[in-house]
Amino acid sequence: MLDAGLPRPPRAGAIKSWLTLAAVAALIGLALRQTNFNLPALFTGAYDFFRFFGRMAPDLTALPQIWGPLLQTIQIAYVATVIGSLIAVPLIFLASANTAVNPVTMWVARTLLTVLRSIPDLLWAAIFVAVLGLGALPGVVALTFFSVGVLAKLGSETVEAVDPGPLEALRAVGAGRNRTIVFAVIPQIAATMVSYILYVFEINVRASVVIGFVGAGGIGVLLQTYMGFFDYPGLGTLIVVVFVVVLAIDGFSVWARSRLI
Amino acid sequence: MAGVRTTRPLPTDLPAAPAHVRRNQALLAAGAVALAVLFVITLVTMDLPPWSRVELGIKRNAMPLLRGLVRPDTQVFGLAWKSMVETFFMAILGTALGAVLAFPLSFLAAGNLLGGTRWALPGKGLLVAVRTFPEIVLAVIFVAAAGPGPTAGIMAMGIHSIGYLGKVFSDVIEGIDRGPMEAITAAGGNKLHAFLYAVVPQVLPEFLSNVLYRFEITLRAAAVLGMVGAGGIGLPLIQRLQFRRWAEVSMLLLVIVAFIIVVDAVSSRIRRRLV
Amino acid sequence: MSRISFENVEVVYKTGLKALKGVTLEIPEGQFVVVVGLSGAGKSTLIRTVNSLVVPSSGRVVVGDVDVTRARGAALRAARSDIGMIFQTFNLVKRSSVIRNVLAGRLGDLPAWRGVASAFPRADRAYAHDCLERVGIPEKAYVRADALSGGQQQRVGIARALAQRPSVMLADEPVASLDPPTSHAVMRDLKRIAREDGITTVVNLHFIDMAREYADRIVGMRDGLVVFDGTPAEASDDAFEEIYGRPIDDKDLRGA
Repeated sequence: MLDAGLPRPPRAGAIKSWLTLAAVAALIGLALRQTNFNLPALFTGAYDFFRFFGRMAPDLTALPQIWGPLLQTIQIAYVATVIGSLIAVPLIFLASANTAVNPVTMWVARTLLTVLRSIPDLLWAAIFVAVLGLGALPGVVALTFFSVGVLAKLGSETVEAVDPGPLEALRAVGAGRNRTIVFAVIPQIAATMVSYILYVFEINVRASVVIGFVGAGGIGVLLQTYMGFFDYPGLGTLIVVVFVVVLAIDGFSVWARSRLI
Repeated sequence: MAGVRTTRPLPTDLPAAPAHVRRNQALLAAGAVALAVLFVITLVTMDLPPWSRVELGIKRNAMPLLRGLVRPDTQVFGLAWKSMVETFFMAILGTALGAVLAFPLSFLAAGNLLGGTRWALPGKGLLVAVRTFPEIVLAVIFVAAAGPGPTAGIMAMGIHSIGYLGKVFSDVIEGIDRGPMEAITAAGGNKLHAFLYAVVPQVLPEFLSNVLYRFEITLRAAAVLGMVGAGGIGLPLIQRLQFRRWAEVSMLLLVIVAFIIVVDAVSSRIRRRLV
Repeated sequence: MSRISFENVEVVYKTGLKALKGVTLEIPEGQFVVVVGLSGAGKSTLIRTVNSLVVPSSGRVVVGDVDVTRARGAALRAARSDIGMIFQTFNLVKRSSVIRNVLAGRLGDLPAWRGVASAFPRADRAYAHDCLERVGIPEKAYVRADALSGGQQQRVGIARALAQRPSVMLADEPVASLDPPTSHAVMRDLKRIAREDGITTVVNLHFIDMAREYADRIVGMRDGLVVFDGTPAEASDDAFEEIYGRPIDDKDLRGA
């Protein structure tokens, strides 16, 4: 037999695994009950679901309506990425242990960034629509805040992982904090940061597609209109267009990021 | 020159930078200028409201918002907690569903195990398609199909998660070491043995780590899908946002953020132990 | 051209470890001192009290007429800009060009805004190139720092320290990661430059033969105390056995 004569694995490890498995199963069971997960309705709904897809055969006459909102979607993502990156940079250095000014500002910056990162993009959009009204502006502001959160977390992890040697050397030269950051930290992280900014642009485009659902501009508004009017062919066209655009931007982003390393 | 201390004569000539350095500097400068110009053009052509209207909106809403933010309405805490717990369970089920469905799909999409790259390209293509399809549209469709409530949200998140988990799983699978598999077949085991004892132990920790990471994201999605009726805290939230009841919004936000922060922290801890 | 004074310097780390147990030394202007001792004897700590990278728990260090132990903020930075340091691991910014690494040495003497904006005056940039020439690698100015060999990288480190126009130079095991011929070349360059500019130099080495060859004066440390202070001629093998607390062997010699 395959495992005849093999020493038995320690019992503690096996027990821990089984316990974890049981806990997860219990959690899932509890979740199923608490959410009234309605599987039967799903199967009857599945038929409807696939029917939707059948009806979504693209209707090319819808294309002219789509370009404008599509452009706005990308514009929102671009502006939010640029402004978000500019705001994130000083915050990153404030929040990182090896470039912070003092423990208090570091803690404040970290808390701020944690909160920013915990709010989903669509929620940001809904909040700013309530404050600023409908349109592209709340979308830009919302995604800016969102971008700062995402970028700052990534950036701060990178900054804290740099080689501390050059920093010590610049302290010994007599350079202050800001000069040290420019000469010793930024060269080490520049390529990675640009890569992250491209990544943030990617997720901003995806987010920008849907924030229109809550009125924050872009192609999401059209999405909601089509669904409201049950214009499935139009919806199909729109989804195909979105698919192509997101794919193109993803592809560009991956290519650009590979050139950086 | 500052800081001069000795009497050694100072040099006056400065060798010119070589051509490739100057060219790179020029390219970088040109790139930065192009981005800036693009930025300005975008802002101008973007159909943003005039500042007067923006100012009006801020004046009317910003102060009440800030006041509401610093005084969350404790009366809605019960509702907030209950909805967020429901959101939490939705996310659990959505992630679990996605993981279960992605598992077999990922083996198809990975080119190296099922003996052929025949399925890899269409498999990967399908995953990309699923990833790109906006989650919220999925949610709306499921609400129409299965009725409003958490079930629709769970299904939407489950299907959408397949896109990410499938891709990540297949990357992990493609990266495994074939050595242990060969060792088992050489020792006389069959394909199932090889799978269970060589493949699964290699991929499981990374799979689980990615499932946890996906859970963090799904929780955020679950919090907003309710806005289209798919269950969770999204619906009470958007209702109160639309009526600008800032103190109540603040309480809901507080609960959401607190939940997410805790889940992120616990998930990070576990993931670090796993990989 | 500054003297260095250690006045009963004690360093106790937070863990309770006493790295320096009361060191008093006078190093006159322009002297080339080599500090020897086993790992953990306190060499690194001693050298770092000179530019206050390590702050003594008691006692003080005076460089020229500046009490570096008491100095803070801008005064400390000004003191440090007068003290060059080279490191065992070179501590260059790998992805930056060589000349940019050398220019970093000017950061302590220029106003902050110039450093942040990388707006170095022409005279400073010419001087940086000159420093590179003095260490023998002017043609490498625009090469990425990590594309250089170990010996060349340390030379860039020396050029960076030189760019500060220092009156004191500190070297913490500068040649430990280099092969024998390269380490001798680097030590020769260091000694030559120190002599040409009259820079007071303190070097940590753990190779006995190199200490004897390059030092004007050898200071031996053991367990946080100075146990030997004399000329290379006085640093016999027996003296080194005292410093190390064990017989010397081949590993303690660099060779050619």
